[in-house]
Amino acid sequence: MPQDLAFWLPVVIAVPLMAAVLAFLLPRAAFPISLGAALITSGLVCWAALAAVNAGPATHTVGGWSAPLGIDLVLDGLSGLLLVLTAIIGLAITVYAHGYFQPGDDLVKQHQYNFFWPLWMFLWASLNALFLSADVFNLYVTLELLGFSAVALTALAGKPTVLKAAMRYLMVSLSGSLFYLMGVVFLYAQFGTLDIRLLSAASAETPTLLASAALITTGLIMKSALFPLHFWLPPAHANAAAPVSALLSALVVKGSLYIVLRLWLEVFYPLADTVAPQVLSVLGVGAVLWGSLQAMQQPRLKLLIAYSTVAQLGYMFLLMPILLKNRDDSTALAATMSFVFAHAVAKAAAFLSAGSILHALKDDRLTALSGLMKKMPVTTAAFAMAGISLIALPPSAGFLAKYQMLQSALTNGYWGLVFVVIGGGLLAAVYIMRVLGPAFKKVEPYGAESTSKAVHVPLVMSIPTLALALLAIVISFMGVYLLELLAVGTPWVLKGGL
Amino acid sequence: MPDFYDDDARLTRPRIVALALSAALVALLSLIILTAPGDLERLNLVARERLTESGVANPVTAVLLNFRGYDTLLEVAVLLLAVIGIWSMARYARVWIKVPDTPVLAAFVRLVLPLMVLVSGYLLWLGADAPGGAFQGGAVLGGMGILWIAAAVWLPDFQFQRFARVMLVLGLIAFVGASTLLLALEGSFMEYPAGEAKNWILVIESAAMISIGMTLMMLFVGGIPRLNEGTV
Repeated sequence: MPQDLAFWLPVVIAVPLMAAVLAFLLPRAAFPISLGAALITSGLVCWAALAAVNAGPATHTVGGWSAPLGIDLVLDGLSGLLLVLTAIIGLAITVYAHGYFQPGDDLVKQHQYNFFWPLWMFLWASLNALFLSADVFNLYVTLELLGFSAVALTALAGKPTVLKAAMRYLMVSLSGSLFYLMGVVFLYAQFGTLDIRLLSAASAETPTLLASAALITTGLIMKSALFPLHFWLPPAHANAAAPVSALLSALVVKGSLYIVLRLWLEVFYPLADTVAPQVLSVLGVGAVLWGSLQAMQQPRLKLLIAYSTVAQLGYMFLLMPILLKNRDDSTALAATMSFVFAHAVAKAAAFLSAGSILHALKDDRLTALSGLMKKMPVTTAAFAMAGISLIALPPSAGFLAKYQMLQSALTNGYWGLVFVVIGGGLLAAVYIMRVLGPAFKKVEPYGAESTSKAVHVPLVMSIPTLALALLAIVISFMGVYLLELLAVGTPWVLKGGL
Repeated sequence: MPDFYDDDARLTRPRIVALALSAALVALLSLIILTAPGDLERLNLVARERLTESGVANPVTAVLLNFRGYDTLLEVAVLLLAVIGIWSMARYARVWIKVPDTPVLAAFVRLVLPLMVLVSGYLLWLGADAPGGAFQGGAVLGGMGILWIAAAVWLPDFQFQRFARVMLVLGLIAFVGASTLLLALEGSFMEYPAGEAKNWILVIESAAMISIGMTLMMLFVGGIPRLNEGTV
């Protein structure tokens, strides 16, 4: 069996896909099957990323039919980075969910536990397939798979509020996909191919390309919940079960974001001089402000974190003008991807801590959190570390990412963005302190039933939470390696018409 | 908050504005696509050129099961996901059947069921050279299942669930299993050995057809089959 990197690319899709099938077929063995698949997939992805850094990008020709006839899977820096991110967070959530959904004697919980595993494995397979795909129609199929598994996972919590949120999520996800598909039709109509690299070589500024870019971008930012199309996100992310909230906020919204980045860098680059990148950037500013202001007013912890996601998604679009116009300057892309990584890890840790709090206190209103540090020291510490990264205090990953953003904005003369990045950090500090302030309080003002007794959180839940939270701090020390990975293949810098 | 089941069809002013804007967008997009210097034939030509290597004579089947078989693999996954998603939300299927008061339907169904099995098999086989294949055959099988239930000849009970699970996953297991096996044998995911494509395609399609049929039937049932457990 060949040892080369390209050979293994389909395996990181097939393993979770097979695990999804088996977990559905054998509900009693669902957890061991999923854990096994999670370990294999994560190991393989990390090995593949390392191999790609040494050996360069890899292409797997599915079915032996090369593009344009067939579909290629491509591992390069951009996709590799997101695969690694998915692997890290996926592994942590797999362990956490085993504790969170622990059924006991409850039939409803047993049902949730049984169905979480196949749905989660489908979600993981679809993310891996999405990041690896080099074909715009195949990307549509992966988006469908991703959207449906995300919606079903959201609805798993079963409460009426969450069913309503999931229904709305489904509608948004479907219309987003259809917008995307229509954009693909336009691309195909003009260029006669669906392969991203062939499209990249043929791309030219035409009305068709403009229409396609408009349709695809609209559909995808709807799925990524960029302000003002974020309306569906807070109810869905806040009402889902905690491990699912973490998946949705950390990974699922990044899937469509990745396609936006990939297609703008490789296919829509002739449109970089239109107003489109500025529009995305302005929407990003709106997201930072609106999301932060909303997060400051939320009465419940999970809603606060969900609005924080709305705000943080804004940062990922801030640098679009630099990213697309100065394609020989890769600092904007590096900063954006650092931010994606930092946000995903911190947000997953924040949602998992919120899940532990909800699990222990049966209540996540901010008023119930007073004196939390004494009751749940590990969980509170984890949330605090995640919060530090979200505020972007040094030496957290969030700090490094925002530092890179500032640097990129300053060198390219985008002064306005400096205020947004710094101001957004201050706003984040305000809403994070709304949680940490009471949590670190010594005296409890409303000490009715909430005594200072420590509350038990199972290790399977606290360890993954803490691991992600620590990662949110120390990942900045590994930033160099991540950037090295991101540089693999750098297609947008070296090729295309510029 | 908008209601998704809103059946209010009045033409209010915001709706007229939305309608006008949508119409304008459709007109604009149509204009762009109709005036685009299209290149729609290119892939078509490539596909037809290499049809002989695909193992089948029907270009649609060649694209679906060979050239772009990976898309179809993921679509089969979407179908399974649809049933799992519904089962995850509906712990009990409703018991919806009113036994029909005429024996004619039951007699008719008994007569027509074997024929439908035959037709689905024929459609599958036909797919190699003419329009047909797993999706068409599966649709007939699914229709058969629905007729079966509707005539109350037989109703899916809880025991049936295990059988249904196996039938549901058969297609995806065959697809992913065969593709992975071919990866080990040929070095490429889903790369059929030269000259043997047709046999591989037939095996995958047969399994997929059964799963598609069961998927459609389970979508009709609308939850985990559980006949005697009351309604929720």
